[in-house]
Parts: sequence; structure tokens; C-alpha cells
Amino acid sequence: MKIVIDGREIEAQPESTILEAAQAAGIFIPTLCYHPAFGGQGHCRMCMVEVEPPLRLVASCAHPVFDGMIVRTTSPTLEKIRQTLVMLLYRRAPASELMGRLKADYLARAELWVKDPMESCILCRLCVNACQSLGPSAISASLRGTQKRVTTPYDEPSPDCIGCATCAHICPTGAIPVRVENGQRFIWNKSFELVHCPLCGEAFATREQLQYTAAKSQELAESPLCERCRRLEAAQHWGELPL
Amino acid sequence: MTIPEASLSTHRILVCCGTGCLANGAWEVYQALRSSLQGQPASVHPVREAVATGCHGLCARGPFVRILPDDIVYCQVQAGDVAEIVASTLEGGPPIKRLLFRDAQTKQVLTRPEDFPFYRQQHKIVLRNVGEIDPTSLQDYLARGGYRSLEKALLMEPDDIINEVISAGLRGRGGGGFPTGVKWRACAQASGAPRYIICNGDEGDPGAFMDESVMEGDPHSVLEGMIIGARAVNASQGFIYVRDEYARSIICLQKAIEDARHAGFLGDRILNSDFSFDVELVRGGGAFVCGEETALMASIEGSIGEPRDKYRYPTESGLWGQPTLINNVETWANIPYILDKGAAHFASLGTAGSKGTKVFSVVGKAVHTGLVEVPMGSSLRHIIDDIAGGAPWGRQLKAVQIGGPSGGCIPEAMLDLEVDFDSLTGAGAMMGSGGIIVMDDRTCMVEVARYYMEFLAGESCGKCLPCREGIDYMLGILTRLCHGRGTEADLERLQDICTTLQAASLCNLGKTAPNPVLSTVKYFREEYLAHIQEHRCPAGICRDLTTFSIDPDLCNGCTLCLKFCPVDAIEGAAKQVHVIDQTRCIRCGECFEQCRQDAVVIGGR
Amino acid sequence: MPITSFPEESQAAFLAIISEYPGEKRYIIPIMHHLNKYYHYLPRPALELTAQHTGVPFSQVYSMATFYKAFSLVPRGCHHFKVCDGTTCHIKGSRLITDELQKHLGIKIGETSSDRQFSMETVNCIGACAIAPALLADDKVYPRVTPASVRKIIQEYGGCSHDHS
Repeated sequence: MKIVIDGREIEAQPESTILEAAQAAGIFIPTLCYHPAFGGQGHCRMCMVEVEPPLRLVASCAHPVFDGMIVRTTSPTLEKIRQTLVMLLYRRAPASELMGRLKADYLARAELWVKDPMESCILCRLCVNACQSLGPSAISASLRGTQKRVTTPYDEPSPDCIGCATCAHICPTGAIPVRVENGQRFIWNKSFELVHCPLCGEAFATREQLQYTAAKSQELAESPLCERCRRLEAAQHWGELPL
Repeated sequence: MTIPEASLSTHRILVCCGTGCLANGAWEVYQALRSSLQGQPASVHPVREAVATGCHGLCARGPFVRILPDDIVYCQVQAGDVAEIVASTLEGGPPIKRLLFRDAQTKQVLTRPEDFPFYRQQHKIVLRNVGEIDPTSLQDYLARGGYRSLEKALLMEPDDIINEVISAGLRGRGGGGFPTGVKWRACAQASGAPRYIICNGDEGDPGAFMDESVMEGDPHSVLEGMIIGARAVNASQGFIYVRDEYARSIICLQKAIEDARHAGFLGDRILNSDFSFDVELVRGGGAFVCGEETALMASIEGSIGEPRDKYRYPTESGLWGQPTLINNVETWANIPYILDKGAAHFASLGTAGSKGTKVFSVVGKAVHTGLVEVPMGSSLRHIIDDIAGGAPWGRQLKAVQIGGPSGGCIPEAMLDLEVDFDSLTGAGAMMGSGGIIVMDDRTCMVEVARYYMEFLAGESCGKCLPCREGIDYMLGILTRLCHGRGTEADLERLQDICTTLQAASLCNLGKTAPNPVLSTVKYFREEYLAHIQEHRCPAGICRDLTTFSIDPDLCNGCTLCLKFCPVDAIEGAAKQVHVIDQTRCIRCGECFEQCRQDAVVIGGR
Repeated sequence: MPITSFPEESQAAFLAIISEYPGEKRYIIPIMHHLNKYYHYLPRPALELTAQHTGVPFSQVYSMATFYKAFSLVPRGCHHFKVCDGTTCHIKGSRLITDELQKHLGIKIGETSSDRQFSMETVNCIGACAIAPALLADDKVYPRVTPASVRKIIQEYGGCSHDHS
């Protein structure tokens, strides 16, 4: 179906969202809580766009496209909204490098009082989504309203956590501390012994993580390799095959 | 199968057992009446019967007892009064003077409900049975013509039912005012099965309790409305989502569902037709945001109550992704009436854009606080002054807050506003569920705005950025203002944030959260400026900006303030001028409330 | 997932409640209501068993228990006071009631006394606006409460009638 974004007519897949259609056409819409793996969450509202007909503001990550739709990704109203959103979010997470950068980009006012100068979580909840779809769902958004935050149950080391650190990798602001010391990975107040790759010797995964993956794929890898060595081995294997 | 005939005994004694009256001892009165009546000699005809009913509306003066067929109303009855009522009134004696209602302003003593300005000027549709019947008795409901509309609906084409609701002009009573019939049609036309019906009983607006009153006082009318709706959109399963705090509503509805099932109004092949439908009761978890329909559905599904973007309506994709028709309690309770009396009759009431009646809970600083049902388009002044008796003790009515945290404050000067969905939105407020909170000169509008932000800070689901962070930011500013540390730039900041919240929030909780702030800044700007420029709270509520002192010229030494001061900060003897010790005073204002000489003066910091 | 250690008889009691409900996600809130009614809070092992029974990750069950205000994660007192802070009660002086209760019970909002006798919280509107300010003590509504009547009400709640907590 045909839609117009910023004066450009593009062909959009039916059932796709405005954001997906724009990204497919190489048109930039700012986002903070969007990741292609999980789809639109509608949390951050940075991706608000103007849509006609009838004229209204919608979250492009959640709104489906329709034939003949006209979309504007920038306007004075939208810029003002994004500027205010950045100001509010900077006030919440001043320790985040990303928010510092956005504050400069959007010329957002710095408020005199911030909530917690050490805070860097912007509550995009990509970590929760990642843990839920790729891991054992060890973390969740707890409490509500202005108290909302991402935690393990009771803020204690979670028996479910496998220490895969996917949450930390996906976090856009580095708000989830993870460190490696003496062959141990520390994350969410819990330590995990790291397993070494039998080929290159790199400490690449936690034992719990490997067990979890094995159980999920119902395959027993006797001595699992690290990502790089596994690829290398696969490439060699394919190379040896007669063509 | 036909509906059995039922009739109500003429000699009933109706004891109001609404929440307000129960708190004042109505249950003890009811029990005492019952046990006294059990001792009636068998020869007495007709037999007198005590009935525990839903709310009679005039909660301020409960517990209420209404004696039929004489139709004598007693108020503020206690269990100790029962013996006298039985011995005298029930034996045909003259009404007991001390239990009769005395109008504080006209000094008139009133006996029958039609004498009361409070009752006389109401028009009851939604509350037609509330207070008249035993809510736990299906027989009582049947005797009032209950389930006749369902019988009618089962003989109608579903489309004709929807057309009837559309031509009645009924709009959703939950707040938004969306045309009910249009919603029904959208659901009927959506594809997919099963389809669901939901009754939104998560009445969360502080100050509103009309839905509670209907669920407690006439649960079958809600059920009947839902069954008719289910028939119209061909739904097979219904849910009633009741607010956790409404324990009595849950009991009454559960009983109604069981009785309706037993009598063949619910379940397989309702009244021997080919239509089947059942209803399940769901108890909420205590979250204001679950009044938002997508959050409510998430809650029924067993998740946290976070709303989602409504770019696909629930009528198309609702509960478990299925077509779902969701209306609130008051809306459902209107349905049997519309089918019974006809759309034209219903549409003859109200304004051009809003038909029928609306139930308001008039609370706060008014004399006759309680529930009032009037045709749409009645003026606020009529509701507050003529029906609810206006502000008490000659106090100055300052504003009314209408529509809960989504609504706004309307100043006294605008009370001639004829209330319907559109006029209120135009005035910067909202119908919401119809809570009217009367505020007088002792209510600080800055503090009211702060209160609502504090309320919403705890009740926002916290999912979307503008609502979660914006409310927190506004609460910060308003708290500063209440402490006298605000600046005029803060008012600009508030305005800015409000615009963003309205435009960018995910659900209506966030979109309408600015209303209490915007309306108070708009109509009570001087009060904000008094806090900012003069460090003074004109209402004497913000403690940091208030001092109370006693005017020696006006004080007559009555010692009343001294007796009520909770911290013994007032010194003075009888017939001598009293003095407030400012170091001990906690600025609670109790002395100001008590003083009959207007000698207590509110000052700034 | 291992269940946090708890006396075995309690575990059996938790399971007796939980298994009354089908093992589906939508029964989590009803189960929590049932547990909360019986224990006056949600014991952690009971939540863990709820997660197991319904097949929902524990973190999500925990998320729900913290989202909905009807539930407490810490034991409440034998007598639980709820001060209504709905708008009407608020403008009619509910904060004076809160102050007075805190003073006499020696606990703050949301706390439980060390002897587990009393706990208190503020709630948003109990629908008794016409008789504001209202106080809910256990299941009883007190109308038009004043600082003076708070003292009398507390005296009515001397002993402890249940010992689940």
C-alpha cells in the first residue's frame, strides 16, 4: 500500500507499523525503547509523528499503516514534545551518556533538580523484553507510577538468572552493571563461573547459560565452543564438503 | 419460559444499608427491626417486613429508615430508636419528631420523601430501584419489572437492539462519553469468536461512588443490561470487573449472578431461546489505572494493569485479542430502561448532545452530601444549591471539582454551566464518572492541584515516559509552590509539561492528568500568585505559608478553640481574650473551623 | 526454581489455597486475593508456588504483587487501619487523622508495629465520600473522624483475633 512520509511516497507492507515502514524506506524517526527484535512498546513516545487524515499525533512504533496515510516525522509541535521528553528523561537519568548527548542535541533545558544524579536507567524495558524472549525472565518492571523500576524479585539474586548478560548488552544506557573478575561474571547481585572455550580458551559463557541453551534446543553440546570458534569450525566443515 | 409474576409487599420498612449508612450503624438498626418484627403476633395483617436496601442517596443524614405504605422517612436512626418506631409509628401513632428530617436552612420538618427538595428535584432512571428493593432478592427486582426488557430483547433482531440504543443517544457514562450504540455496532460488525462483554466496575475517581451504589443497590439491572448487550453483539461470555475496595458490591453481584443463573436468565439457552451467555465476577487488585479499558483487560488476563495504544479498538481486538464490548456500570444500568420505555422516551431527556440522566455524587463542603440523579443539562448551581443545599454554615462556595483526577476545577462564577459531556470538556473539566466535590474558601486550589498530582504519581502505571516523569515533575513544582518556594517561571513550566502530557501520553490517564493543574492555574491564578509573591496561602491550608492568630477585638473568650486545639497551643480563660502560641501551633486550622465569632484570622508567613 | 525455605506445614497450606484455582495466568490475582485475605500479606514462598502453579515466571508474579495495591509483601498488623485520602476526605482534613494515628500507634504510613499489633496505610477513596473524612479499621468504616475520635477508635482494637501472620 502507498503512504506518504515527509512528502515522499513509499510502498509500505500492510500490517507494518509507521516506524517499520519509515525504517524500510531509510527515513529516520527517533526512538529510545524500540528494538526490531521485540517490536514497538510505546513507552518512550519519542517516535510520535503527525498523521493525516484526520490530523492527529500517534506513536509510530505502534500505529499500523493504512492506504493513503500522510505522515510527518518533524514539525514544531513534535520537536517541542521531543525536547520536553528529553528534558524529563534527562532529569530521571542524568548519569547516562546517551541522555547527556540527547540533551545537547535537542537543546533541552537542564532542570536544577534531578531525581538521582547516579541514575542512568531510562526505563525503556528492553532488558526485560530481552530476558523474557531470550532468557528465563529473571527480571521485571516492578512497582508502579513514579516508583517503577526494573528489578529481580525482592531485589535479591534471582534463582532464575543464568548470567547471560543479554540485558546488559541490549541496554542503551549501560545501566546494568556487569563485571568479570577471576573467571567470574557478576551481574544482578549474583556471581557466575565462566566456562572456557576448549579451542581458544576464552571465558565466554556461564555454565547456567550453556545449560539453559542446551535445554532449550534439546541438544547436548559436550564441550561447547565460543561464538568465534563455532563459526570457524562451521566454516571449515562447509569448506571440506565436496561441491 | 416466561418470567414469574412477583409483587412487593405494601408494608415494608426500608433500611438504607449503603456504605454511608452502614458506617453510621444501619446494620444494627436493620437487625433490631427484624428481631422486633419477628415477635409480631400472627394475627397482624398485613405482615410488616424489614428490608435492607441500597443507598437512598442522602448519605449525610443516615442511617435512613423509610416506612411504607405511610411513606415516613426517619433519619439518623440508631438501634435504640427501633423499639419506639415499632411501638408507636407502626401502630399508627404520629411520626416521631426527633427522627424526622429538619432542613437546616428552612427549619422545616419533613416527613415524606416528596417533601424533600433533595428527592423532589431528582429524576431517577439509573437509580430507579436503588433504595426501593432488597438488592439480594431476585423477586424484588422482578416485582419492579426486572428482566422484562431482556425478554423483549430476545424477541428482537440484534440489529434492532443496537439501533434502539443508537437512537436513544446514550453515551458512555464511564467518562469519555463515547456513543454507546456506535460502540455496540462496531463490536457486532467485528469478526472473530468468542466475543466478550465487560462491565467496568473499577470506579476509581476519588469522590465518585454512583457505580458502587448501583452494584450494591440494584445489581440485576447491571446484569440485565449486559445480557441484552451480549445478545446484541452475540457474545458468549461476560466479565464484571469490580474495584477491590467495594467488598459489598462483590457480594451483591455474586448473589445476583447465582440467582440469575438459577432462574434461567444466565447460562445455556437463556429463557429457552437459542441464546447462551454467562458472566464471571473479577475482583480488581487495587489500581486506579485499571479503570482504563485496555489496562482493565490486561488485569483480567492476569498481567499488570498497563494500558496499550488503542490504535485497534477493543471492539475489534480486546480481551485475549477477541472482539470485546466494554461499558461501565451506569451505562449498563440504563439499557433495560431504554428497552422498556423506548429510545424516544429516553432521548426526550437531556441536551442535544447528551441524552438521559446522570448520577452525580455531590460531596465535600455541601450540606446534603450524597447521590443525585438529574437530567443531563441541569446546571451545577441547581445540583449544588437547590438539591444538595449549598455550602454549609454560610461558608463561601469557591469552586467545584468535577470528573476526578481527569477533571478540572470550575469556579463559582461558572456554576450556571449546564452540565453535559461537551459543556464540561469546553470548560476544561470532564464528566468523568460524575463526582462533584464542592470546595469552599478553606480549600487551597494550589494544594488541590498538588494533591491530584500526588494521587496520579502513585496511580499512574509508570509505563509511558510523559505520564510517569511528567507527573513527577509537576508534583515537584507544585510541592515547591505549596512551600512558598515557587516562582512565576514555574507556572510556565507547568504549562509546557501539560501540553506534552496531553499530546504524547499513551492513555487517557496521562492525557487528562494536566486538567487539575491547567484548570486551577486558569481560574485561580491569583491564588497561585499569592503563594509565589506574597508567600501566603489564602485558604490557610499550606502550613508553611500560614499563621493563625486571634483578633482580640472579636474574641469573646468562649474557650471553644482552646478545647479543640490538638496541641494545647491556645492560652486563655473563659471570657478573656485567647492567644495562640505560634511556637506550638501546628497550623491545623481547627480553631478557625470552631470559632463562631470569626475571631481567628489567617495570616501569611 | 527452588522454593525459599519455609516450614513444610505452611507450604502445604499455601498449596491447599493455590490448587483451588486452575493453573492459568488469569487466576494469579484471585490466588493473591485469597492468600492475602488469609495471611494478611503475600509470603514469598506462596508467590513462588503461585508462579509454579500457573507457569508464569516468578519475576512477573512479583511484578504483579508490587503493582497492585491490594497486596502487601510485608506482614501487616492484626489490625490494619486505612485512612481514606480520597479528594473529599483530603479537603476535609484526612491528614490530621493520619498524623494522629501515626502519633498514637508509633508507626508511619505503610509500617507495621514491632509487636505486629497494628499497621496503617493511606488509600485513595473508599467510596464513603458523603461521610468524610473516613477511616477503615479492619473492615469497619468510621464516619466523620476527628483527631479526638481516632484515640477512641484505637482503644476499640486492643486484642489480636487471628494469628496467621
